[in-house]
Amino acid sequence: MVLAGLAGGIAFAQDGFFRGRGRFSPVPAEARVEYDGRFSFVRLRYQGGVRRDPGWAHDYPRADWHFQRILEEITFTRTLRDESNILTLDDPDLGLHPVVYMSEPGFWTLTEAETAGLRAYLQKGGFIIFDDFRGTRDWSNLQGRMADVLPEARWVTLDASHPVFHSFFDIDTLVSEGYYGEAQFLGIFEDNDATKRLLAVANYNHDLGELWEFSDTGWVPVDLSNEAYKYGVNYVIYAMTH
Amino acid sequence: MFEAPFRFFFEHSPAMFAQGEIRWAAWTGSFVAVAVTGAAIAAAVISYRGASRLSLRDRLVLTTVRVALLLLVLACLFRPMLVVRAAVPQQNVVGVLLDDSRSMQIADLDGQSRASYVRSDFGALDGGALKALADRFTVRVFRFSSTATRAAQGRDLGFDGTETRLGAALSAARQELAGLPLAGLVMVSDGADTADTALGEALLGLKAEAIPVFTVGVGRETLDRDIQIGRVSTPRTALKGTTLLVDVVIAHRGYDGQSVTLDVEDEGRIVSTQQVTLPSAGAPATVPVRITVADEGPRVLRFRVPTMPGELVTQNNHREALIDVRDRRERILYFEGEPRFELKFIRRAVTEDENVEVVALQRTADNKYLRLGVDTPDELVAGFPKTREELFAYRGLVLGSVEAGSFTGDQLRMIAEFVDRRGGGLLALGGPRAFSEGGYAGTAVADVLPVVLDASLRQKEGEVMRLQVRPTRAGAASAVTQVAGTEAASVERWNTLPLVTAVNQLDRVKPGATVLLSAQEGSRRDYPVLVFQRYGRGKAFAFTPQDSWVWQMHATIPVEDLTHENYWRQLLRWVVDEVPDQVEIRTASDRVEPGSTATFTSSVADAAFVELNDASVTAAVTGPDGAVTDVPMAWSGEEAGEYEGSFPTVAPGWYEVRVRATRAGTEVGTAVSHVRAAPGEQEYFDATRRTGTLRRVAEETGGRSYAAGDTATLADDLRYTGRGVTTVEEHELWNMPIVLMLLVGLLCAEWGYRRVVGLP
Repeated sequence: MVLAGLAGGIAFAQDGFFRGRGRFSPVPAEARVEYDGRFSFVRLRYQGGVRRDPGWAHDYPRADWHFQRILEEITFTRTLRDESNILTLDDPDLGLHPVVYMSEPGFWTLTEAETAGLRAYLQKGGFIIFDDFRGTRDWSNLQGRMADVLPEARWVTLDASHPVFHSFFDIDTLVSEGYYGEAQFLGIFEDNDATKRLLAVANYNHDLGELWEFSDTGWVPVDLSNEAYKYGVNYVIYAMTH
Repeated sequence: MFEAPFRFFFEHSPAMFAQGEIRWAAWTGSFVAVAVTGAAIAAAVISYRGASRLSLRDRLVLTTVRVALLLLVLACLFRPMLVVRAAVPQQNVVGVLLDDSRSMQIADLDGQSRASYVRSDFGALDGGALKALADRFTVRVFRFSSTATRAAQGRDLGFDGTETRLGAALSAARQELAGLPLAGLVMVSDGADTADTALGEALLGLKAEAIPVFTVGVGRETLDRDIQIGRVSTPRTALKGTTLLVDVVIAHRGYDGQSVTLDVEDEGRIVSTQQVTLPSAGAPATVPVRITVADEGPRVLRFRVPTMPGELVTQNNHREALIDVRDRRERILYFEGEPRFELKFIRRAVTEDENVEVVALQRTADNKYLRLGVDTPDELVAGFPKTREELFAYRGLVLGSVEAGSFTGDQLRMIAEFVDRRGGGLLALGGPRAFSEGGYAGTAVADVLPVVLDASLRQKEGEVMRLQVRPTRAGAASAVTQVAGTEAASVERWNTLPLVTAVNQLDRVKPGATVLLSAQEGSRRDYPVLVFQRYGRGKAFAFTPQDSWVWQMHATIPVEDLTHENYWRQLLRWVVDEVPDQVEIRTASDRVEPGSTATFTSSVADAAFVELNDASVTAAVTGPDGAVTDVPMAWSGEEAGEYEGSFPTVAPGWYEVRVRATRAGTEVGTAVSHVRAAPGEQEYFDATRRTGTLRRVAEETGGRSYAAGDTATLADDLRYTGRGVTTVEEHELWNMPIVLMLLVGLLCAEWGYRRVVGLP
């Protein structure tokens, strides 16, 4: 509740730019902020999706910027606050952002260059968050695309004891109602070794971005928004330390 | 060289003039002569003054010459005498010290060895210079290498000593001959002193007793053709897995421009080989060699170049160095004040390194910490250490982007003492909460850092500097900043690394600091990137970028590239390199001659690194045969917390010295070092004749120095040292050839000048 309220307060008080922007407003194909050492939310763009509002852009920019503000307010992380990046997986600037976010991986497609780009990114130390997907079809597509990127990688269901759920907030149970039903949190470990670092995390049956986006409106339950921020903050702090 | 002409003109040797004094033996007629000479001078002056047709200058010249002539005659009439004390024949002793070391085997005297000269000129009492001495003195012959011992005959010498200790030999001979009427000492040597101690102390003893030393230098001052491993600079200890960049100096003469192979062996296994082209004009070549010490324990590294055609000395083509390789886990505390990727990638860079462990204390929010790599549940549970004992348990400390205000005043002083007193390594990283921007100017930590912090210089909010990092000259030659196989490849690699950013205004480094990496940023030149200085017992580093992880993640960096990992691994190893433990041990030398005594010192401190003088310290010495001997160590009384011990070596081989310190029944700590008992080869290094050393010995003691084969006057010179049983000799000086020459010369000069100016 505290987080959602905080986000709302910050957004309404400071955000004159995107407050009036509708959910289905056209999104830019690219948003690029010159790297200056601060943390930037990076949303991955890919080809695919059938809607006017492409899946990769779902919840942009409110979710991205709300999340950055929350991250900066409750931790000592310096963020871009009111700006963020939209990049493709073969973008040369991708490596300047060791944490990236993908929305609706159920519609994710990959070019060869993007496949190689993500593979190198993860192997060098990058971390990717998959969000906003549900059902067998979405999950199969995500598994298939990740198999293209890391053929040997195996998805593992995470439990609450994993350090990613304790890097900032202590999330003691993962039994929770996701945005689309009972949520599951899955991950890929380096060398498929659970003692090594997480390369990727997937929020199955969940949509953290949606809960971040509307955390200042009262349209979604405050408790759900709070929990969503906790997961996001923990993911980023984990990625910065592991 | 000037001996013969001197004797021709002055009839006596320089030694006699040096020792004797000149007196006048005037008699009654001398005073009559004064009157006569005075009258003659007056007549001369008046006579020349009246010669009005001469110019003033001519008159002055002629008058001066005439007066000088008359005064010279007058001086002779006063009978000048040289009074010297001469040794009474066969009543005095001369000690003859013959160099018995291996360098005397070098055959640089027209194909003859130095040893053969010694045998022929000083080998027996019935010939050569030794006979001349024996005719006048009682001769005591000594052989010396590490010390001097009596020898029956010079012929008995084996020339197999592995050391040359001139000072020890002179002192031993002086003590052996104490109480005898000693005229002086004769030292026959090439002068190649291999002692660790200075020669001055031995010379002081000789000067105090006024014992002159006459030196005979054997061998040539330069060798026509020789190549040697001149110097190898390696650390005494190293952490297992460390890559060392060792400078090897290859000295040579006569092989300009030739290519040689420099091999490095680790216990018989070649670990490095490279071709070296020797510089011209005999200049030495300094070759940086990369070696990774992969095996634990005492390791002997052998550096060698092949024997070259025509080389006179081949034993100096290799040199050995001992490194105690330690397999231990060095713990570094990394305190990061804000979540950022630098921590993740630095930890990741050393994940595979079994010998370096980064314990991370990540402040994520106000009074909220994430601890990573801690050994116990309580470690760092209250945040940054609050006691010296807690902080000093780490060997390195990395300060990330964390403001000075997050520490108490005592914690800031503790950090300074961590370097100064504990001898730890401090690495300060760049960031918006670091350096001046973090409020460190004027704090105790600012004193330690190698960069100058100016509170008035702060980076503007939101402005970043983009840095293309390059090694400086010092950095190019440093192992820490070498990120490729060779120095040139490393410089090239740095030039192609992606830009990183910095947010700290730093213009100056401390006077004693070394900049290893720098960057050009906009119009600014030489922004310091990696700076290092020693401070107190420890080291302090500043690494100013805020995101070196870009060297790992950037799109231009291939997955398999290890630049970032290698850089951080090397840097963090350097941070903890040679950081002392509570108990430390140092041996005086890593090698001793078999049979000689090995000495060592140990320093003992408590957990706050306050030196302890009341500890119980014992060394367990394990010999090559596995036998263990306990050696009690005593406080030196000179340095706080320093204890001394020694043990005699018997058989050749390794001796392990394990020191254990306890206090009030509680163990303070242990330390291990190794000493090797083995014959050394240093006799063959720089094995030319050291004329300067030998001349210094002679001049400081009042003796004289000679070259081999030029000792004809040695025995005579020794007669006039003024020591021992002497008799006074008086030698008339008026009849010296120089006097007659002067008289004739002055007469001729006056006559000639008169002819020139037209006088009869």
